[in-house]
Amino acid sequence: MAEITERSRGRSGLFWTAAVVVYALIVLFPIFWMATMMVKPNDAMFARPTQWLFTPTLDHFAYVIEQGFHWSLLTSFVLCTVSTALVVLIGTPAAYAFARFEMKGKDDLFLFILGSRMAPPVCLVIPFYLIYAKVGLLDSFLGLTLAYMTFNLSFYVWVLRSFCRDLPVELEEAAALEGWSRVQIFRRVVFPLLRNGIVATAVLCFIFAWNEFLFAFMLGGSSVTTLPVSIPKLITSQGVRWGEMAVVGMTALVPVLAVVFVLQRHIVRGLTLGAVKG
Amino acid sequence: MASAGDTILDAPARAAPREPAWYPYLLIAPAMLMLVVVSLVPFLYAIWLSFHEAKFGRVKDFVGFDNYLTLLTDGRFWNSIGVAATFVFIAVPIEFMLGLAGALVLNQNVRGRSLLIPLLFMPAMMAPIVVGLLWKIMLAGSWGFFSYNVLERFHILTDTSVFASPDLALYALIFVDIWQWTPFMMLAFFAGLQALPLGPYRAAAVDGANPFQMFLHITLPLMTPLLAVIGLLRFIDAFKVFDTIYILTNGGPGTSTETPSILANKMTFEFWNIGEASALAVLVWIAFFAFCSVFYQVAKKRLNAF
Repeated sequence: MAEITERSRGRSGLFWTAAVVVYALIVLFPIFWMATMMVKPNDAMFARPTQWLFTPTLDHFAYVIEQGFHWSLLTSFVLCTVSTALVVLIGTPAAYAFARFEMKGKDDLFLFILGSRMAPPVCLVIPFYLIYAKVGLLDSFLGLTLAYMTFNLSFYVWVLRSFCRDLPVELEEAAALEGWSRVQIFRRVVFPLLRNGIVATAVLCFIFAWNEFLFAFMLGGSSVTTLPVSIPKLITSQGVRWGEMAVVGMTALVPVLAVVFVLQRHIVRGLTLGAVKG
Repeated sequence: MASAGDTILDAPARAAPREPAWYPYLLIAPAMLMLVVVSLVPFLYAIWLSFHEAKFGRVKDFVGFDNYLTLLTDGRFWNSIGVAATFVFIAVPIEFMLGLAGALVLNQNVRGRSLLIPLLFMPAMMAPIVVGLLWKIMLAGSWGFFSYNVLERFHILTDTSVFASPDLALYALIFVDIWQWTPFMMLAFFAGLQALPLGPYRAAAVDGANPFQMFLHITLPLMTPLLAVIGLLRFIDAFKVFDTIYILTNGGPGTSTETPSILANKMTFEFWNIGEASALAVLVWIAFFAFCSVFYQVAKKRLNAF
């Protein structure tokens, strides 16, 4: 590659850039199209051939608010925040311990954690539903918070451990020689270095909970309705409310849009469970 | 992007051996207890249920392996395995190849990566239910943007939605999965490419190797463990896709897109045949656990990741 001149590099760079931009536009087009449907009147929506220009309307927003979808938004937000906070609280010490200490049966424990992360949600929702029906946790906040632990707590411990292992152990050893207690070491040495990893992993947990559909659909109900669950509810007996679905769908995308820009390089690491250090 | 599979810190690091032996167990206790409650207990309960006749929410007699036998002789079960296999074995290889090609392109002198990369993460980070919704809109019968402007224009399908066609519905779902996951595969492989050492390439350039030879003899061998781990993970995830299929076809028309996940869901919440649904869940669970341990071994041994 050394002999390639700057000029030809520049030109080929432009070509490849154009290729990636075109691909990105194709990939993002459906999202753009859904965004236009938020303000598209019904007759323009169903027009054949496809109608590009139309007079925008706020009808879909009005219907969505009338039906109380902002409560679903609030429910989703509170539920995801609470369950993520709980995950961070009990997951952080575990991840740290897994990274720093030798334990008997660590490999088996680890495989168990991976197993709970990977289990298909459908397999879990059946026993969950029956157990919850017995103990009265169906359609409750606590019930869903607990159910979200299966995939998020295991995910958090697994990924944060890979962040912990990236920290140089020498700092902790030096602090220990100074006579600091383990708690002091964690608060003053480990935590400041680990903060970015904790935030990145927690944000991913938040998004997984935010996107989760099956548990919320089967274990939730009329008092706990999350945003994703409210989407299929717009397929009514009087027909499908496309514009309203687009509004709810785009609302669900807002935090995702924020996260992809903020987290960038941590996403690969998170979605490959720490196997690729993005 | 830092290195993929770095091994520098792989040695078990033990800081300050002053604590009693139970100390680490104390740290993991809350998390492990929670996981036992929310993951192991449901699993054991599902096993217990699968050995009982349980219909309409009532658990009756112990029936041994009857539920498993009924399931394994049920054509619908084998159909669902076939559907999932078709889905996975078409979608994942395509995502893999396109992702690798895309990563090589992105690894060229591409400008504006800081904007392009986040945008390409969008499909993978979106709620699967919203992905389903997007394509329900794009592929809606007669007026959907893609239905009208592509399928109808090229006379592939007119007037109805692809999701209503028994022959095409599964391929439409495969298409949606490819749309959703190719960009992510591309970015994951790109992260791997960025972490490759430069030394071998300099040496090869001195020897006059062309870019194709470099790819074949340097890039590919160095990337193999990473490719294997990412491919395997996608493979596992593709098997359990539920949300998009649920909103787009819910297994229909007929049983042409009914994967084990969709079937288990129907058995439970439509037919209320909980014993058999649990048997199905247990079988799927065991298969997944086998895949998981393969993933774990590969990632640990070949990639030095865990």
